[in-house]
Amino acid sequence: MARRTFRGGVHPVGHKELAKDAPFEVFLPKQQMAYPLGQHIGRPAAPVVKKGDRVLAGQLIAEASAFVSANIVSACSGTVKGIEKYRSIGGSAVDAVIIENDGLYETAEGIGEKVDPATLTNEQILEKIKAAGIIGMGGAGFPTHVKLAPKKPDDIKYVIANGAECEPYITCDDRLMQEKPDEIMDGLELLLRLFPNAKGVVVIEDNKPLAIAAMTKAAEGRERIRIQVCPVKYPQGGERSCISVVAGIEYKISQLPADVGCVVDNVGTIYAIYKAVCESTPLMERGVTITGDAVTRPCNLITRIGADCGELLEYAGGFKGGILPAKMLAGGPMMGIAFDSLSVPLQKNNNALTFLGVDEVAEAQKIQTNCIRCGRCSHVCPMGLSPQLMSLAYQARDFERYEKKLYGLECISCGSCTFICPARRPLTQEFKVAKAEIMAAKRAAQAAQQAKEAK
Amino acid sequence: MNGLYHISSGPHTRGRLNTSRIMLDVAISMTPAAIVGIWTFGIRAFWIILAAVVSAVLTEYIFCLVTRRPNSTRDGSAVVTGLMLALLLSPTVPLYIPIMGSIFAILVVKCFFGGLGKNFMNPALAGRCFLLISFGSAMTNYKHVDAVSSATPLEDLMAGRTVNLTDMFLGRTSGVIGCSILALLIGALYLLVIEAIQWEIPAATLAVFVLFIAIFDKHGFDPMYLLAHMIGGGIVMGAFFMATDPVTSPATKQGQIIYGALIGLLAGIFRVFGSSADSVSYAIIIANLVTPLIDQYVVPKPYGFRTGAQMGEDGAPRITPGLFRPALNLTIITLVAGLGLAVVYNMTKDTIDEQKRQAKLMSYKAVLPEAEVLEADEKLDAAIENLGGAVFGSDYGKVRIREAVAGKDADGNVIGHVVSVTSSDGFDGDITLSLGVGTDGSITAIEFTELNETAGMGMRCAEPAFKDQFAGVAVEEFVLNKAGGSTQDNEIDSVSGASISSGAVVNAVNAGLAFLRENVM
Repeated sequence: MARRTFRGGVHPVGHKELAKDAPFEVFLPKQQMAYPLGQHIGRPAAPVVKKGDRVLAGQLIAEASAFVSANIVSACSGTVKGIEKYRSIGGSAVDAVIIENDGLYETAEGIGEKVDPATLTNEQILEKIKAAGIIGMGGAGFPTHVKLAPKKPDDIKYVIANGAECEPYITCDDRLMQEKPDEIMDGLELLLRLFPNAKGVVVIEDNKPLAIAAMTKAAEGRERIRIQVCPVKYPQGGERSCISVVAGIEYKISQLPADVGCVVDNVGTIYAIYKAVCESTPLMERGVTITGDAVTRPCNLITRIGADCGELLEYAGGFKGGILPAKMLAGGPMMGIAFDSLSVPLQKNNNALTFLGVDEVAEAQKIQTNCIRCGRCSHVCPMGLSPQLMSLAYQARDFERYEKKLYGLECISCGSCTFICPARRPLTQEFKVAKAEIMAAKRAAQAAQQAKEAK
Repeated sequence: MNGLYHISSGPHTRGRLNTSRIMLDVAISMTPAAIVGIWTFGIRAFWIILAAVVSAVLTEYIFCLVTRRPNSTRDGSAVVTGLMLALLLSPTVPLYIPIMGSIFAILVVKCFFGGLGKNFMNPALAGRCFLLISFGSAMTNYKHVDAVSSATPLEDLMAGRTVNLTDMFLGRTSGVIGCSILALLIGALYLLVIEAIQWEIPAATLAVFVLFIAIFDKHGFDPMYLLAHMIGGGIVMGAFFMATDPVTSPATKQGQIIYGALIGLLAGIFRVFGSSADSVSYAIIIANLVTPLIDQYVVPKPYGFRTGAQMGEDGAPRITPGLFRPALNLTIITLVAGLGLAVVYNMTKDTIDEQKRQAKLMSYKAVLPEAEVLEADEKLDAAIENLGGAVFGSDYGKVRIREAVAGKDADGNVIGHVVSVTSSDGFDGDITLSLGVGTDGSITAIEFTELNETAGMGMRCAEPAFKDQFAGVAVEEFVLNKAGGSTQDNEIDSVSGASISSGAVVNAVNAGLAFLRENVM
């Protein structure tokens, strides 16, 4: 089959060899756990426990407070130490439920019970997914039950299981596809039940031959599912890139994938759906890659959400040679978030902790020059934008041009332009600021409008 | 925990390519042309290149020092500017020329406007144009010791003479240091392969340029003639090395195609209708000035906004790869336009040729009115063929015999001859005249078929007061009398204030007479 690809894209060094051959190890943390209430896109969850309560693993501790919101369950048994400000991996102090872990991992009633999905209605499946607090586990963290409830389920043509894992360093999806292929396939079949006219497509980059083999084998006999192997190119794992290669469809940022007949879920999310529906296990654990050249023992862990990142690092042998890394990232080097404290809890959407010995950003700043207008940013932009013109508009604070003429809000912050820029200009960073300012201005205008109407 | 960790917004990794590397690649791409230039023109070319590069780098260094800016010479862009400027210079220029050019290019065009990436036109080209305006004669003197012909191929081409395409391709002609097309193409290929430049600008430039020459120059779709224009006069260097300078070309593919087409169009206009040999340089710097305007208005539709991008059929690929579509469009447009023109040209070719022949015959007949028919003469044709377009004789300046025919009366008796002679020694371009000579050696009349001299001065050669002086005279050779008031038959009074034009005419007439003496009488 011809390998289709999307336009643009870059080829950062993969560094996957650090952790790709390390099978999952199950690690149960001993230290205290913390659950930021807003670790998903949408309204933060509302706590349903109070200080001093005893909670069990799998027990609901905060519930979705709006349509776009998600439940949060405790991943350990213990006592609620408080609901207070807690430092999150994003750097700011946010409201979180803090639980003193008793290390017993006593589970709530019914957790782990096998269920035959054939006995469930579609509504029951959706209900279970919602109750489990599943969100997009590839990084974005969009509540999955919202994604799975489009207005017209019959119009969905493709359910895409995203196993591209194009971000450098990260290997947990690769491992998951190798070690749990049948579970992922069962999960995908559950989704196909919700969308009767859809085909299931698993997107995998061709640098994961073992995962491709395992998934292909697991797909045998499943008529509605096929595997699509794509050439290695970042950002293949982006939702829009996946839809490009599978369906040949493009859509605007103001649209949802469902508007063009597609649903995209990370393979980790689909595995979580399987666990929630077939094994009555809400989202308590996830695969996470601890990697980077500054780590003693890069590895892939199945661990509990809410675990302290310092404890996870300790399990991976700590910093190599005891030398502090130059940079710590939640996620990979392209779209990951830099954090500066290890005393932060692992969230549902953190697929990796990457510890880098060299900060390439600091190196880049030393040789930054003026833009030489070489146009490489435009060539690699998967959204077909013109970053150098957007950068000029940003520097001129001409947000009108940025938004209307240059389509600057279509930017997905993938970082390809910044990666390729020979002048080492911080393009993506400028666009993040520009987008935030434009959105803030829009919200302010909207609020002013509402205030006026209220009068 | 502590402050040792770096915090920054993603992405946290970078590609390998940097600005210095790009500049190095451009310098590498120009190296073959520089080497061939030194090989052909000798060590002098090397000193010119060295002077241009060193003064470019020094200028930028001193500017940074004086204005207390960080030293920016390490990015290598000054080296590229100096090298490019040197390749655009004649190997005969005195050394102050590359130095002045580099200083102007770097200081005025680049540094004053904000340095790297901020210059509003290509510095090397701007430097060349500055030199052309300020030191015109030194800049256009392409004569050098070993040259076979002192005229550049472009000069020959525009004067209607034949050129040696192989020599031009290899750079064995008079011209600028970087005039080897083969070496330039090797460099261009390198840039294309490493994707330092994209195909859009050169393709659009060359396509429009060739089309323009084919349509508006007199030769139509003559492949050899078009090829000669392609490889002469710097369009290759311009299209691949200077038009593609990213700083001064549009940011988007669509914009680049418009910009390239504009360069091709301007270069074509200047080449066909202009008088300067530097059509390409001026075309590019004018297009450079239009670049900001193109970037302001030409922005491609991004992902999700392109037509046909949405609602693809089940699994059918609906996205044409970004590079393929404009390439296809451009090729189709070029092919269709070219085909249409070829058809029209072929349909009208015979009629046009017949009309041209008639016009020529009319002018011949005007100088030999007694002839009933004008016929080709094998002996004369053979003699002209022997000359092979070379300068005729040694006493008449740059004079060439174009055509000679025999005039016959109704009975078929030869009553005289007509010779068409061109002199390239006119004050402003070529002078072509038809010369009628009777069998007794007396001149019946002369008429001009090509005369572009200064109005009110050289142009007055066409007035009867001047040209009728030749009529009815039978002498071996005419002499120009600059003072006027001639008494002898063989003396011709010069047109007042136009002795150069008048002298060229007299030489042309003498050459025609000599030619006939050699071959007829």
